[in-house]
Amino acid sequence: MHEFPVLEVAGLHIDVSAFIAITVSAIITFVLARLAVRKLSVDNPSKLQNFMEWVVEFVHSTIASTMPMKRVRPFLALGMTLIMFIFVSNLLGLPFGIVTEHHHTSSFVTQEMLDKHHGEVELAWWKSPTADLNVTGGLALIVFILVHFLGLKMNRKHYIKHYFQPFWFFFPLNLIETIAKPVTLALRLYANIFAGEVLIATILMLGVVGTPFMIVWQGFSIFVGAIQAFLFTILTMVYISQAAIHDEEEHAH
Amino acid sequence: MDNLHWESFVYAIVAFLILYLLLNKYAFGPLFGIMEKRRLLVKEQMDNAEKNRQESEKFLEEQKQALQQARKEAYEIIEQAKTTGSKQADEIVQAARGEANRLKDEAVREIESEKNKAVASVKAQVSGLSVLIASKIIEKQVDEKTQSELVDKYLQEVGTKS
Repeated sequence: MHEFPVLEVAGLHIDVSAFIAITVSAIITFVLARLAVRKLSVDNPSKLQNFMEWVVEFVHSTIASTMPMKRVRPFLALGMTLIMFIFVSNLLGLPFGIVTEHHHTSSFVTQEMLDKHHGEVELAWWKSPTADLNVTGGLALIVFILVHFLGLKMNRKHYIKHYFQPFWFFFPLNLIETIAKPVTLALRLYANIFAGEVLIATILMLGVVGTPFMIVWQGFSIFVGAIQAFLFTILTMVYISQAAIHDEEEHAH
Repeated sequence: MDNLHWESFVYAIVAFLILYLLLNKYAFGPLFGIMEKRRLLVKEQMDNAEKNRQESEKFLEEQKQALQQARKEAYEIIEQAKTTGSKQADEIVQAARGEANRLKDEAVREIESEKNKAVASVKAQVSGLSVLIASKIIEKQVDEKTQSELVDKYLQEVGTKS
C-alpha cells in the first residue's frame, strides 16, 4: 500500500496529498460553478446554466421533501455546495494517480517508513479528498455543529425535549444516536471512496489484463461517487430538518 | 491508523467553509436570483395571459351583443321599410285611381257638354234652316203660326232621335 507524504512544519503534520486534493477539489468546484453562472439569463439560459438549474431543482426537491418549502432557502446553498464539492471530490482520484518511489530518507520519508517497506517507499500524491477520513470527518463535523446550532437556535424547546423522548431514560440512547449520525456520515463516505481507490490500486497491479475490470470499476466509481454525494447531502438535510423544523404534525401530539 | 491528522481535518473544514462562502456569493446568489426572476417572469406572464383571456372573453361577449343588436336593428329597419313601402304603394295606387276617376269624370262631363253644345247648335241651325227651307218651299201657303208648330214637332223628333 502507498504511504501518503507528510510534511512537518512547525510541529504540524501536514498531509500534502490531502491538502492538494482538498484545494484542487474546491478550486474545480468553484470554477465549475462560476462557469455555469457566467452568462446568466432569464429567458435564454446556456446549457451549463440549464444543468446547474437542474442540480438546484434536484437539491431543492431533495430538501423540500424533508422540510417545509419556505424554510428551504438558507439550506439550498449549503446543499448545493455539499453535493458539488463531494461529487467533484469523489471523482478526483479516479482518472489518474501520482506515485513517486523513494529509496532514501527525505522530508517526506522517514527511516521508520523505509524499514517498514523494505527500503522502497511509494508516496501517493494524488487522491480523492473524500478518501481521507479527516476530510469526511471535517464535513461531518460541519453538519453536526450546524444541525445542533440550528436546533438550539430555531427550535430550542422541541430540540432539547427530543433527547428525553419517548421517556427520560431514553437519554443515553438518544445521545448515542446523535453521536452516531455524524460518525456514520463521515465513515460511509470515506469507506465508499477509499474502497474504490484501493480497488483501483489493486486492479492496477494486474497490468494490461486488468483493463476491462478497470473500465467497469471506473464507471461504477463514478456512479458510487454520485450516489454518495447525493446521500451525504440528503442525510444532512434530513438531520437539519429533524433538529430545526418543528412540523405542524408534531404540534398535534 | 497512522494517517489521521487533525491538520487535514481543520483544513477540510476551513476549505469547505471558504468554498461555501465563495459559492454563495459568486455562484449561487446570482443563480438563485435568476431562477427567482424567471419564476416571477413566468408568474407575471401567466397572470397576463389570464388577464388577456378574460379581456378577450369580455370583448367576445360585447361583440356578440353588438351583433345581436345590429341584427335586431336591421330586422326592424327592414320591417319598417316593408310597411312604409306597402303604405306608399297603396297611396300611389289610391292617388292614381283617384286621378284616373277624376280624368274620366272630366272627360265624361266634357263629352256631355260638347254634345249638348253640338245638339243646341244643330237645333238652332236646323230650326233656322227648316224655317228658311220651309218658308222657301211653302212660302205663303202656311202661316207663321202653323209653320212654327210644324217646326217644333220636327225638332222634337230630332231631339228624341239623337
